Amino acid sequence: MGGAALARTRRGAPAGGGAVRTASSRYRWGSVAPVIVLVALFTLFPLAYAAWTSVRGVLLTQPGSTPFVGLDNYADVVRGSAFRGAAENSLLFTAVSVPLVTVLGLAVALLLNQHLPGVGALRVLVLLPWSIPLVSAGIMWRLLLHGNFGALNGALLQLGIIDHDVPWLSSPRLAMFSVIAAHLWREFPLPAVLFLAGLQTIPASVLDAARVDGAGTWQRFRFVILPLLKAPLLIVLVYETMISIAVFDLVYVLTGGGPGTATTLISWLAYVITFRFLNLGQGAALSFLISLAILALISLYIRIVRVEGERP
Amino acid sequence: MAASRPGSGLASDPGGPSMRTGGRRRATRRLSVLALVALVLVLVASCSPPRELSGGGGKNTLQFSVWSYSLETINDNIAKFEAANAGTDVQLSDYPWNDYHDVMATKFTGGSPPDVEYSSDHWLQEWVSAGWIAPIEEQCAGVGQYKSEWAPYATQGMTYNGKLYGLPYYADLVILIYNDKMLRQAGFNQPPQTWEELTRQAQAIKQKGIAKYPVNIPLKKDDPWSIEIFYSLVYSLGGHMFDGETPVFARPGSEAGRALQWLVDARDRYQVMDPASVEVSEPDVVKTMGAGKHAFTVLAKYNLAELNQGNHSQKGNFKMALMPGSSHGTVGFVRFYALSSAAAKAGKDRAAQSCKLLNYFGGKTDGTYKVVKRWAVEKGLGFANLPLYDDPQVQQAINSWGDAKLERQQAQLARSKEGLTRFWGTWDISAREQISAAVSGQVGVQQALTSMEKRWAELR
Repeated sequence: MGGAALARTRRGAPAGGGAVRTASSRYRWGSVAPVIVLVALFTLFPLAYAAWTSVRGVLLTQPGSTPFVGLDNYADVVRGSAFRGAAENSLLFTAVSVPLVTVLGLAVALLLNQHLPGVGALRVLVLLPWSIPLVSAGIMWRLLLHGNFGALNGALLQLGIIDHDVPWLSSPRLAMFSVIAAHLWREFPLPAVLFLAGLQTIPASVLDAARVDGAGTWQRFRFVILPLLKAPLLIVLVYETMISIAVFDLVYVLTGGGPGTATTLISWLAYVITFRFLNLGQGAALSFLISLAILALISLYIRIVRVEGERP
Repeated sequence: MAASRPGSGLASDPGGPSMRTGGRRRATRRLSVLALVALVLVLVASCSPPRELSGGGGKNTLQFSVWSYSLETINDNIAKFEAANAGTDVQLSDYPWNDYHDVMATKFTGGSPPDVEYSSDHWLQEWVSAGWIAPIEEQCAGVGQYKSEWAPYATQGMTYNGKLYGLPYYADLVILIYNDKMLRQAGFNQPPQTWEELTRQAQAIKQKGIAKYPVNIPLKKDDPWSIEIFYSLVYSLGGHMFDGETPVFARPGSEAGRALQWLVDARDRYQVMDPASVEVSEPDVVKTMGAGKHAFTVLAKYNLAELNQGNHSQKGNFKMALMPGSSHGTVGFVRFYALSSAAAKAGKDRAAQSCKLLNYFGGKTDGTYKVVKRWAVEKGLGFANLPLYDDPQVQQAINSWGDAKLERQQAQLARSKEGLTRFWGTWDISAREQISAAVSGQVGVQQALTSMEKRWAELR
């Protein structure tokens, strides 16, 4: 159909064109049907199937038997010995990594927003960690932090800063902070870019006016820049919280949740229950609980950080 | 659209509204048909069988899944099998050992099982209970004749409810490996007889600056070896993990408690075991042992061949010793070739071809265990096929990197893993986690053992 015909269809038919309107409606439905089919097939159906799975006893090692168990899977997961530790680890991970990645991203954005020589190249380079696949990043960090042949220990030993290998990944406490460090390195570019975009929309005249009114650097940041960055801040907080709770790849490659259960995050536990214990029912139940937790946190953020609709 | 093909229905606005309406209707229908076709294609693609027995050119294609080890040897064996069985192609898929169980579980339940695959004694009951693998004596005529030539622990490891489920790929022992040169430098002429003596020797090696951490044992919780190593330590002390299906490892004063305490003390109290032991797997330890960073380790025996023959700076300095401890016991295990239930049920042709593959790799060809012998001679893999011990070529190969006499002695003291049930594989994951937690100081020894016992009760 030519462009002219489409344009006429959108504008509507002349009086008495009920048949045309029906055809137009069918055309619209026909146009979006493939997308609806794909979304139904690859999003709605898996979601519904996961919900169905979460209320049934589905053990891969007992095929053919999937009895309805109601909310037992949810209760068993929460009562399970691993849940509490994993939830605490995830809380710690999220509580530390989200503020840090936000502050780091903002600091980098403020730096990149300066008119400094070479800042153009820096803006490209800062995206580098984000462009590296997460699994590759995990392997890189593992080689860096390995207790036997890690590059970091090698460098620190040669510089005389340490006299014995530091167990970055084999000490329960250090392992968690090693995972957080790797996560920060991988994640900060996105907040930096979002904040940079926000900073560049702030009119120079607003900052100049604040300067004329006697506002210092901190006051300009606190009372002018930060309020105008609420929208990207909300996006960063929501996104980074979701990522922190759902982070899996890095743990898989870097520590496997260990040593012991020291870096077993809630998302890793969902993987273990599903793919190692082969308990799909409990794995689906835990995944739904994780989704609910993320939704609750997002709602909380939206209440706390109210985005102003219009600029002053 | 400026022009239209005859009968295409996508006319270029030739007239009034009714004609346009008809065009739109046809377009709508066409889009709907396209969407339907796309959906059908997706469904057909996702539901179509993953492979066909009859491949292109009239050849049969068998799927063979293995864990990643010495793939060049496997491929060469496959080429020889294909040459001897014209009309049969073998498609090999390999997966890392650490992920093998999970990948195979997904393949079996996802409807794309291979025909023949590696399996292990500790997965047998789970795989049989799930209906993933089939008893082979009913499918593959003549394999029962081999049983009388296997070591008992290997036969036991491949048998469930009186039925045989595999032919041995290899069967081996967990042993103590030490660097003889480092021991001599420290003034010791003999390997340790007990774990306490091992600690003293390690302390001496450390004090003399020969190695900072003389002991390294792979205890990474993701490495399935770590549970077999732990069992071996318990057995070496004369202990048990289970009495039938009842856990005994958490009882006060148990050998399991002593073994775990020794690991904790070696790492933290005496500082002779590498703190990184909880983050290393078998290949890491082979590399660091080979580089001379450590003097002692506990590994599967075939690693001794790699250490003494591979490209390592300490090549030739490694020896095996009986496991230290009062009983010198250890774990004997068997990895085997299994036949998928899907292949067994897929008709006589596929089952027969799969049996041929199974028999070529795990049985006799021209009267000898060709492939099993090749693994033993070239790679130092252990075997359950006892007649091979009398083969001069095998004896010579073992003595070039190990000690055939000592190996036989250790084999006689070996036991299969206790507590093998259909949920052992799941319990094993939690048990390894607790062992790692105790050794890294995250929890106490008794707390770890109690958690392991609790997990067993949950699964039971």
